Amino acid sequence: MTRPEDAQEQARRSAELKRAEGRYAETTGGDALDATILGGRAPAELLSEWAVIEIEPDLLYSTRRGGAPITALKRLLLRLMRQHLVELEARQTRFNLGLLASFQQLERRVEALERDAPPRAGEE
Amino acid sequence: MTAVHQAVAGAGPYDAVSEQARAWRRLLTEAGYGGADHAGQVDPGARDGFRPLERLEPAAGDLIVIRYSAWSPGLGRLLDRPQRKLLVYHNITPPGYLWNHSPGLAVQCAVGRMQLPAFARGARVTTADSEYNAGELRDAGADGVRVVPVLFEPGRLAPRGRAPEGHGPLVLVVGRLVPNKRHDRVFRAFAAYQGECEPEARLLCVGTALNPRYAALMQTLADESGARNVRLAGGLAQDEVNAAYAEAGVLLTLSEHEGFCVPLLEAFHFGVPVVAAPAGAVPGVAGHAGLYTDGDPAVTAELMDMAVRDTELREELARRGRERLEQFAYERTAASVREVVEEALA
Repeated sequence: MTRPEDAQEQARRSAELKRAEGRYAETTGGDALDATILGGRAPAELLSEWAVIEIEPDLLYSTRRGGAPITALKRLLLRLMRQHLVELEARQTRFNLGLLASFQQLERRVEALERDAPPRAGEE
Repeated sequence: MTAVHQAVAGAGPYDAVSEQARAWRRLLTEAGYGGADHAGQVDPGARDGFRPLERLEPAAGDLIVIRYSAWSPGLGRLLDRPQRKLLVYHNITPPGYLWNHSPGLAVQCAVGRMQLPAFARGARVTTADSEYNAGELRDAGADGVRVVPVLFEPGRLAPRGRAPEGHGPLVLVVGRLVPNKRHDRVFRAFAAYQGECEPEARLLCVGTALNPRYAALMQTLADESGARNVRLAGGLAQDEVNAAYAEAGVLLTLSEHEGFCVPLLEAFHFGVPVVAAPAGAVPGVAGHAGLYTDGDPAVTAELMDMAVRDTELREELARRGRERLEQFAYERTAASVREVVEEALA
């Protein structure tokens, strides 16, 4: 019997042997969701993408069982309100992009100040 | 009669936090406490057990149990109320998993994590349902954190519904379709298992999706993995989940972030071997009763094959699973729940 404590090592050996025979060919490389998961702060390119607001009708739905008619009604309302929503999207996007540009300018300024600052005691 | 109210950010028909609120309510009622359960957002499927949070009107001597798994404006306002509070920390998903898939929920999680120290300070008694979660609560500045595990009720696992269709070994995955559960890795590992070990194997994923778009993404990834016999079943009734456990060859969980992972206990109850990624609270809950993968899909596939084929290994894992279940026995946890409630009311 394989002891549970030894199972991983045995599985690893078995996988290596099979790989040497050319099997498990599809099991190398990254996983599909890796690129969508953020470990820390969102990078600047992604922030720029997020800053542009665009209402997506397929994100509007009903969570009720048999909620399809409610989903259709909500999406119809969205279409009827389109003129107003486009204006809101534009205003919010204007603000987001303005804020982002100011933030990036500040970031560059801080980096320049840090680069040019004389070293503090103990840092030499 | 002393009232003990419970408050959660969101209540749904299947999620673990709502399930725990219901289990505590049954216990509190048996123990003679009044009160009701409230949620910031109530899914239409959970309206029988939860009321809107804004309708919570506690009396001066009441206790408010705050189940903290995400931020909601209503939960924050509870901290300003004079009533005694008991915090139950269920963990909050790191928002990095959610920014790209559900920005609204990501905001709730980001603010929830930022606000955790305030909730820790505002509660008279602080508890967490796993040692892993207790560690996060201590890091947030809480003192004297008590670990009160999930109240596990084996009775609900008795009714059997319709068994899953098909004949090959059944690989079961139980948990919401959310990014931290890493179903993308599940599909790859299952495709490897099916391709190299057991061509007739079936994969059944039980759990509601984060949103329809994420459900569609998971279906695409499942299709692209090349695996056959894959079913993303969504939320199933408990009797159907029970039937799936009864037939399962292995429970697979490759989650990257887990605050507890109730399906581990359910698998132990049914004597189903567990193959898991040792992340978050998983090693603390499963202990030596699970088989742990290093993340390589081929290794995961080989572990599943061992778990399905090696009868003696299955029996040993089932024996260890029963031992683990003793640690989470209902009466034992129920005594801890009564204790912390009494302590918070004292």
